[in-house]
Amino acid sequence: MEIISKLSTDALKISLVGELDANGAINLDRIIGKAIADGYYKIAVDCRQLEYISSAGLGVFISYISELKSHNGKFVFYHLRENVESVFNILGLQKVVAITHDFSQAKNQLHEV
Amino acid sequence: MKSEFTTTCTPSRLADIRRFLYATLSRFKVAEGVKHEIVLAVDEACANAIIHGNNCDISKVLRLEVRKEERQLTVEISDVGVIDNNELDDAMDKSLDELINERKAGGLGLKLIYSLMDEVNYFARDNRNICSLRKKL
Repeated sequence: MEIISKLSTDALKISLVGELDANGAINLDRIIGKAIADGYYKIAVDCRQLEYISSAGLGVFISYISELKSHNGKFVFYHLRENVESVFNILGLQKVVAITHDFSQAKNQLHEV
Repeated sequence: MKSEFTTTCTPSRLADIRRFLYATLSRFKVAEGVKHEIVLAVDEACANAIIHGNNCDISKVLRLEVRKEERQLTVEISDVGVIDNNELDDAMDKSLDELINERKAGGLGLKLIYSLMDEVNYFARDNRNICSLRKKL
């Protein structure tokens, strides 16, 4: 499940809840695609309640990184649990997306774009 | 020790597969960190079989067999779908930067499987495709 909160005219927060696998990735793709189409290019991703993520979930974010960058935007992930962060690390995602400790740091990172 | 699970080829059953695996690996007394690695690798292999091998055809059956022998654990996933080995190899060869530039994400699941498991084999037996994943305990 995903909960969307608008932060400003071009920034929003997506809170991921529960398990994000190949089944849930379809809905996440629709949500992010719509957000970008609506002009939100700075996206904070709250992972506090994210219990599990597979490559399909991460793949959704990867497929939009280039588009966000072309609009001077980015994803910033925060509050990652250990098992979720390990998936980022195995795939090397920590080198291409911003990961911060909390929402305050995530907001600062979004404004640094 | 051995445990089996049968389900249909639809992504909505992936959560059931993970629950079966967590319960089985707990019963087999597999350490917590290793348990997560095995569940993630098997989830990726099952997602590949369901989505790419069987086109999410709910009439087709996916079978899992989990075996613990001495100090190793083996999971065999079997189905009757079509595997394109060239497609698998191409997906594995892409770097993360290439995937980002192409706005695609194929092949990440295979990278996870090969990173997390000690041995990965694909073969055919009794007219079924077998994906065999092995982890030392």
